[in-house]
Amino acid sequence: MMEFNSVIHGENILKKYGKFRLDIPELDVPRGFATALIGENGAGKSTLLDIIAGIRLDYKGSLRFFDRYDDKDRENDPAVKNAIGYEGTGNYFLPMWTVKQGREIQKLLFDSFDEDKYIEMCRYLAVPDEDNKKISDLSDGNQMKLKLAGVLARDTELLLLDEPASPLDPLMRDKLCDMIREYLQSDEGNKSVLFSTHNIADMEAVTDYMILVENGRIVEQGFVEDLKEKYVVVKGEKADEEFAEKVLYSKSSNAYGFEGLCLAERLDELAGINVKVEIPSLSQICVAIMKQNSALYGIR
Amino acid sequence: MIISQMSGVPIYQQIADNFRTDILEGKIAEGTYLPSIRSLARDLKISVITTMKAYEILEQEGLITAVQGKGYAVNAQDGNMLREQHMRKVEEGLLQAIASARIAGLSQSELIETLKLLMTLQEE
Repeated sequence: MMEFNSVIHGENILKKYGKFRLDIPELDVPRGFATALIGENGAGKSTLLDIIAGIRLDYKGSLRFFDRYDDKDRENDPAVKNAIGYEGTGNYFLPMWTVKQGREIQKLLFDSFDEDKYIEMCRYLAVPDEDNKKISDLSDGNQMKLKLAGVLARDTELLLLDEPASPLDPLMRDKLCDMIREYLQSDEGNKSVLFSTHNIADMEAVTDYMILVENGRIVEQGFVEDLKEKYVVVKGEKADEEFAEKVLYSKSSNAYGFEGLCLAERLDELAGINVKVEIPSLSQICVAIMKQNSALYGIR
Repeated sequence: MIISQMSGVPIYQQIADNFRTDILEGKIAEGTYLPSIRSLARDLKISVITTMKAYEILEQEGLITAVQGKGYAVNAQDGNMLREQHMRKVEEGLLQAIASARIAGLSQSELIETLKLLMTLQEE
């Protein structure tokens, strides 16, 4: 496993509400990379992002940013929040604001907000050029583009993006990936992005590190290239299915054969039967682990 | 550089193969810096970690060296490595020829004769 410096380090992060419990003993987000926070709806992704961003302050535990600031610094030292760009799923433009007002207010709110860059970003993302239209009248996709343009028009070191891909069409998701890569390379090794997503396949080509959250807990994490060595996809004939079952994480089968994910280190337990082994995609890894855990918790 | 998503060869391997060939063939001069990890990731539309893994492979092979704060520089290459690289290609080609000869029912001497004949034809 590769060594790294953390841009965010968290300890004993705990948040309860109702039956839900977010419980993360240790959290590390690598500096200089794009990290995907993956999980089903309600897994706790947004709650965790809100806690990191300081949108939510009613949590237990401690956080460290950029290896030198803690959660109190985040609230008291403007340098910390100036270095963080946060994009949430809720509306943070007031409903009566026009596109123009939204731009002017961000100029007032953020020290490093670069209006020219913002306009350039809006053009790149093909936001309709309608300054007097109310932001609340724009489509979800266009509202998301305005939010993304807003965080990218500032001079930050860390972006926290909550489901940025969800309201975007495939072309715009591709642009989003390009923008993340452009951001990371603009200061080699010093800029980091943490985004949540359930569109794993669309974001795979930009994901360096992944944190899989389920039921408020981290169930797997690591650099994608390391995980692709840790797990393998196994395919085999129907006759060998029962024998292979014991090492498989999740299995799908039909009349002709079976397919599943297994730990690479357990592959030799399948010696003697004829299987085809392939490198898994990130979505295959995530889906298999999610299925396994759902079965354990008896959710489905 | 052409990267295929569908070839079954991991992308980091494809990148490493491309640079290895270019370095060994002298297309990238000694002391040249490879593109920064994150700019290559951007240009190839792939993740940073994939690019990083490609560079790590090349570093392990002694083809490049990480220079603190500056990136990865191409090392001086000795001629033997280039020769070995070509030898490998020769062997690959010959192995293919042997396989085809077996299918065609060619004897060893017939195969060698064919090779000699082709070489003389090439020289002319």
